[in-house]
Amino acid sequence: MNPNVVTHPMKRVTIVCEKFAREPVLALVSEMGAHGWTLWEVEGSGNQGVRSADIPEFTNIQIEVIVQPRVAEALLGGLQQRFFPRYAMIAWESDVRVLRAGKF
Amino acid sequence: MSLELFSALSANLLSPAVLFFVLGVAATLAKSDLRFPEALYATLTIYLLVAIGFKGGSAISKAGLATIWKPTLLAMSLGMVIPLLTYPALRFLGRLSPVDAAAISAHYGSVSAVTFIAATNYLRHVQLPYQEYSSAFLAVMEAPAIIVGVVLGRLGDPGARSIWTTVREAVREAVLGRSVVLLVGAMLIGWATGPKGAETTAGFFVAPFQGILALFLLEMGMVAARRFGDLRKVGTFLLGFGVVAPVLNALLGLLLARSIGLDRGTGVLLATLAASASYIAAPAAMRLSLPDANPTFYLTASLGITFPFNITVGLPLYLEMARRILPPSP
Repeated sequence: MNPNVVTHPMKRVTIVCEKFAREPVLALVSEMGAHGWTLWEVEGSGNQGVRSADIPEFTNIQIEVIVQPRVAEALLGGLQQRFFPRYAMIAWESDVRVLRAGKF
Repeated sequence: MSLELFSALSANLLSPAVLFFVLGVAATLAKSDLRFPEALYATLTIYLLVAIGFKGGSAISKAGLATIWKPTLLAMSLGMVIPLLTYPALRFLGRLSPVDAAAISAHYGSVSAVTFIAATNYLRHVQLPYQEYSSAFLAVMEAPAIIVGVVLGRLGDPGARSIWTTVREAVREAVLGRSVVLLVGAMLIGWATGPKGAETTAGFFVAPFQGILALFLLEMGMVAARRFGDLRKVGTFLLGFGVVAPVLNALLGLLLARSIGLDRGTGVLLATLAASASYIAAPAAMRLSLPDANPTFYLTASLGITFPFNITVGLPLYLEMARRILPPSP
């Protein structure tokens, strides 16, 4: 192990949702205290049908944020309460290890 | 079927643009792997909106604001009236929930730019003159219906946030949406640069227009046909509504056109706008402002039923209705 490479435990929250939810989800992400996010467009199929992604408006997006565990919990709670009933969306958290813990 | 309607119908169905649309539908139904890159869809949309806006702007500079303010204002009020008429029909005849009725109403009051462009293409095909400044109608009809729809939806379900916050968001979404910005922006530039601007850009905005429209309708045939699978989910009422509402709205558009003395070609365009349903701006605004409304209902109705109906059968039908209601074009 390289002693100069020190990693720290963090949570990665991944959200896959319809593109129409983009702005409100990103607002929640920053409201809950995440310091950044990464987003890309994806297609797929789920219990609300196929997202064909044939035109930009009908695509799905995947958002990933790396946050401290308490922020992850608050974020998932917010998603569950405000978004799950209304938007096509799935979300999960996973354990990751990061460099520079202060960034998150 | 009358002979005129039959010949109008076959003139439309045999135009390149509509045949490409049919090709797109057929390719998707046959499960072909044909697929346009998403970026091409976006590019073609930008081209069509800019070209139609720019040509409209040039026409406005030629006609003068004094000529166009009255029909434009009328078009705008038509956009506000349609959702007020469709809402009770959806609510009480279709027994839809208040929020679904409001969202669908917003779609039918708002407009489809592609349907409008296909209508101008059809009028050129049958050699019926119309006023190019009609693109101004297109520009002002998108937003009002969305706002009326959001207000109707929020009245039915006040929710946590104040109604005015929601309406403000919807206005922002409707007025600053990419289609309105491109269309109105190009229109202003066309208006400001006048005949000289039109002349210098004609090689790009006018000459290739028909071909690019055909390409775009090929894509739209595929997009629409991908929604056909949802037709079973929306129920017979909405299937019928998707065909009957556009015809009644077109009739209303033609009667209003007659009341202010529009010519036949321009009247057909106003009727087409009244008949068309939005499938880009309105869904985006509804997902944001009325997220409880079911998107399968409004998207399937506007994109899976009304759009293909208007492109194929609707346009010649509205022309036939116009022949009975409006005086010939000058």
